[in-house]
Amino acid sequence: MIATTAGWEIIKWWVVKDNDEYKKWLESSIPIRFLFIWMVCTWTATNAALRKNIAVSDSRFQQQTDASVLLKEAELFKLRQQLQPHFLYNSLNSINALIMISPSKAQEMIGKLSDFLRSSVQRESETVLSVNEEIQYIQSYLAIESVRFGDRLVVTFEKNFDENAVLPPFLVQPILENAIKFGLYGKTGAVAISISIVSDNNMLVITVSNPYAADQQPPKGTGFGLEGIRRRLYLMYARTDLLTTTSIDGQFNTTLKIPQRHVQGNTDR
Amino acid sequence: MFKVILIDDEPLARQLVRTLLESFKQITVVAECSDGFEGFKAIQEHHPDLIFLDIQMPRLNGFEMLELIENPPSVIFTTAFDEYAMKAFESHAVDYLLKPIVKERFDKAVQKWLLHAPDKERPKVTELLETNVYEGYQHRIVVKDSGLIRIIPATEIFYIEANDDYIKIVTNDGSYLKKSTLSHIENTLDPQQFVRVHRSYMIPVTQLKRIEPYEKDSHIALLHCGAKVTVSKAGMAKLKNLLGW
Repeated sequence: MIATTAGWEIIKWWVVKDNDEYKKWLESSIPIRFLFIWMVCTWTATNAALRKNIAVSDSRFQQQTDASVLLKEAELFKLRQQLQPHFLYNSLNSINALIMISPSKAQEMIGKLSDFLRSSVQRESETVLSVNEEIQYIQSYLAIESVRFGDRLVVTFEKNFDENAVLPPFLVQPILENAIKFGLYGKTGAVAISISIVSDNNMLVITVSNPYAADQQPPKGTGFGLEGIRRRLYLMYARTDLLTTTSIDGQFNTTLKIPQRHVQGNTDR
Repeated sequence: MFKVILIDDEPLARQLVRTLLESFKQITVVAECSDGFEGFKAIQEHHPDLIFLDIQMPRLNGFEMLELIENPPSVIFTTAFDEYAMKAFESHAVDYLLKPIVKERFDKAVQKWLLHAPDKERPKVTELLETNVYEGYQHRIVVKDSGLIRIIPATEIFYIEANDDYIKIVTNDGSYLKKSTLSHIENTLDPQQFVRVHRSYMIPVTQLKRIEPYEKDSHIALLHCGAKVTVSKAGMAKLKNLLGW
């Protein structure tokens, strides 16, 4: 305090000398000058605080988005995983039976199952695949099912798709598994399952049809795996209309639509 | 001689159990079925001592089939992968075999059954069915309708009424009786869709048309189907809570 007052006196003496007018003005303007400096300081402080605040909430928002993306991916992963164990354990059980009934068929089945597993593992990291890759995968799956169900299973393909068309992995196989389960039920002769893959206006449309017995109610709600697929489609495209089922004249049709532009957008990311 | 029925939708899976059973001379396989419908018929016809039952089957699953049978035989469940059901089996000491079925484990299960066969394990299975054996909620109820099996989608239910040991499921096509309790059904149906509004009534929220005060602590719910259902004080609170009144 003494130092400030002394400093002030020196400044007054040195700058103002003996100019009384100026001395007077200087003294009377103290409050205004003080106010001005105070405002500058306050503004600087507030500005710094606000900036920091924004940075914090920004990073928090980022964390939240990251968390929800992770959560979504975890759920997608879990849904994808769910589809595998049943099929795997059932196939092993079939092999178990074949070892006793027909060892050579058991060997054949082990080879096919290994092929299928190998391509499953390869696909694990992919977000989208070309249709041809998917068809190859489906065929390795069908090879196993045909061992399990013998000549009864007849699968036909109708292909009319754009070469660049892509789709996420592990969607078609569970639908096919469903169709085979329900198609083979309660029938003795051969069962025809048809798969049509068609490009239509930025959409890849995949329809799987299987016959069903007249007294059999088409699966409602409890359909094997269909709910899981619906959920995955929702998580990926935020749409609920991409998987539909219809039953006409003893044919049960499951239609899967994959928006093309969106899928490609995903690969760019 | 013990009679056994195999119920599994996969022929190879049945073949496996049949082959594994060959070493038990006191057991004969009287029928093989590929789903719950066939299984139901075969059990009525043969009255087996034991069934091997898969859970996941088209049309009618293993549990739904068992629910329809009045005095179910002993059951050894065979399943590929169903964590939830496995927990239920373990807590009720009901035997099950995991696929792929291994001979050692299979033999143990059958021997154990043979040891206890005279007193049968029926009560255990019945008890098991009284708990919620399903993961998630059911979207349908399976009933017996003059010897035939009917699957009622949850969306077609008008309301469900308790009736002594039975529940009465009222739909557009008429009403059906099922040997079960409202508390059990309450556990299996989605609580976002079905509300137990009274000790004796459960209604789908979509059926609710209007609610009128009745006596001191109760209300009357008018349903779209025209029926009137008593709503208790607790039921009213549940409705308010669910519908956000």
